[in-house]
Amino acid sequence: MPGSDFRSEVRALIAEILAGLAAILDWQVLGFLAVGVSLGAVFGSLPGLTATMGVAVLTPLTFWVSAEQGLAMLLGIYCGAIPAGGIPAILINVPGTPASIATTWDGYALTRKGSAGLALGVNAIASAVGQLTSIMFLAFLAFPIARFALQFGPAEYFGLALLGISLMAGVSGRHVIKGMLAGMLGLALALVGLDPMTAYPRYTFGMSEFLDGISFVPVMIGLFGLGEVLIQISERHKARKSASAEIGRILPSAPEARTMAGATFSGATVGTMVGAIPAAGGDIGSVIAWEQARRASKDKDSFGKGSLRGLAASCSACNAAIGGAMTTMLTLGIPGDAVSAILIGALLIHGIQPGPLLFAGNQSFVFSIVFLLVFASLLIMAVGLLGARPLARILNIPPPWLWTGIVLFGTVGAYALNNATVDVWAMYAAGLAGFLFRKARIPLGPLVLGLILGPMMESNLRRALILSRGDWLGLLTRPILLVFLAATVLSLLWPLIRRKLASTNPQP
Amino acid sequence: MTRADSIAGGAFLAVGLALVASGWTFPPGVGGLPGAGFFPQAIGGLMGLLAVGLLLKGESGGEDRRPEMSGTRQVAGTAALLFAYLLLWGTGFFAVRTAVFLALLLRFLGQGWLSATGYSAALTAFVFLAFSMGLNVSLE
Repeated sequence: MPGSDFRSEVRALIAEILAGLAAILDWQVLGFLAVGVSLGAVFGSLPGLTATMGVAVLTPLTFWVSAEQGLAMLLGIYCGAIPAGGIPAILINVPGTPASIATTWDGYALTRKGSAGLALGVNAIASAVGQLTSIMFLAFLAFPIARFALQFGPAEYFGLALLGISLMAGVSGRHVIKGMLAGMLGLALALVGLDPMTAYPRYTFGMSEFLDGISFVPVMIGLFGLGEVLIQISERHKARKSASAEIGRILPSAPEARTMAGATFSGATVGTMVGAIPAAGGDIGSVIAWEQARRASKDKDSFGKGSLRGLAASCSACNAAIGGAMTTMLTLGIPGDAVSAILIGALLIHGIQPGPLLFAGNQSFVFSIVFLLVFASLLIMAVGLLGARPLARILNIPPPWLWTGIVLFGTVGAYALNNATVDVWAMYAAGLAGFLFRKARIPLGPLVLGLILGPMMESNLRRALILSRGDWLGLLTRPILLVFLAATVLSLLWPLIRRKLASTNPQP
Repeated sequence: MTRADSIAGGAFLAVGLALVASGWTFPPGVGGLPGAGFFPQAIGGLMGLLAVGLLLKGESGGEDRRPEMSGTRQVAGTAALLFAYLLLWGTGFFAVRTAVFLALLLRFLGQGWLSATGYSAALTAFVFLAFSMGLNVSLE
């Protein structure tokens, strides 16, 4: 009887779900989760320390506990660090993790307007919504998303990177040419190191330290951290505070929540999809989501100047990438980002092999992970909302104390990445460049975008051309690439199309 | 067009041309495939075109014609202290070197000796303990 088969399958599924829940409803597992979330919040909120570093450093500690306990702590760090990365991004314009770069654009502007509390509240809520939405994707749509991501080859990755780079114009505000130039500079910096296909050294000037290229994190700390400190030092004679010490309310009003709802959910969708694609994480997802929200908004000019929609979209997307990355990791055994790569290693140590067989033979464990992620999301939202007011008091610290703190944490954080002084040099050079770029009104966002996407674009285009035996037109037979190329062309032409539409349909 | 636009446009044009020129020095691709110099030349060419666009057109509105370079002395002083700190990286004890650097920076930024010394000592101790003991990062 087909009906009874279906009923028995549903009963079996419910039994697996309940078994998964029961396995983590243990005070020790939940305790490890709480410790993980707290540690993640520390790693995320300190510039230079990343979620990847936190999970990597603390993975050995999980060898002596059960798989559920160990995984609870590692997932807690992962889920805690990403939203916490938004805290320094909002308060001092320094992204705590690479995923929170887009959060600085509207978050810090809100702080300068005296709405730091609201920005932190939106960060906590939108981050939780993003994580929870992506976990729903993981629970219900894991297989279709993972199958789609599996179709990606070098040509499709090139298309994705090209689409990301085409967003440079969008994130440049009214300085489009300067923004594009900054993006080109980011792409040029990404060329430093060994050529990805032939291993020929490019722009290393004979220094072995540059063979691996320029590390992204020190450049990010320098541009956004040290650069901002130098700007504030240069403007201190105006007797202006580094940011408004006003904290304001934490929770958004009902109309504000309604305004942000669309951007939050579209950000969550974009973040999940981008996160599901291997090697494309929250840093790319949040920029794409922010730009998408800006284009969909009637009030485009407010973006980058304290838009709640922009903030919600970026916070939601960078957190939703967690569920996307976990989906790819669990269903295919392919890491969606650096953290999930380490998580695969941690699972293997505990005798768990991520991949399709995990869903067939150990479904309850998969549901345990889903529930752990849900609890971690709710926990970090509570921490974010309850901690917003004390955290925002950082703005009351005398500016010179704050500046020296940022410089020292940035310096040691940059050095700690690889125990290399060259990273500190890179950070200081980027800081000086960030100061000069701000003075010349050159947007910094595109530079970061170019630095992130440059290696992905070059290596994948050249791999794709090797596979097509040098046939450029042959690449155009791939439908997913065509979709990305069409989206790229549309993205570049959209300002012209919009201007044309506006001139043919003038607003009263 | 502002003076800042001219300087930025000129600098980007120089970098673009340098990228194009350096691209010729890298091994060429074989069998119709792009070599190591393809991307430097493509990026350099595009950068050069955009830089010419910036030089010809400029982007800043009339209200921003002069870049504000106030506070240059403070920035130059801070940069010099940072440079000196980095040059001395690896000499002596991290904690002592860093505490002295922070105290000098705070003093330069207008803080009193007492508060500068106390805060820099506390901050250095916290960072040293967190990174060196907590994360096992060798700072010496």
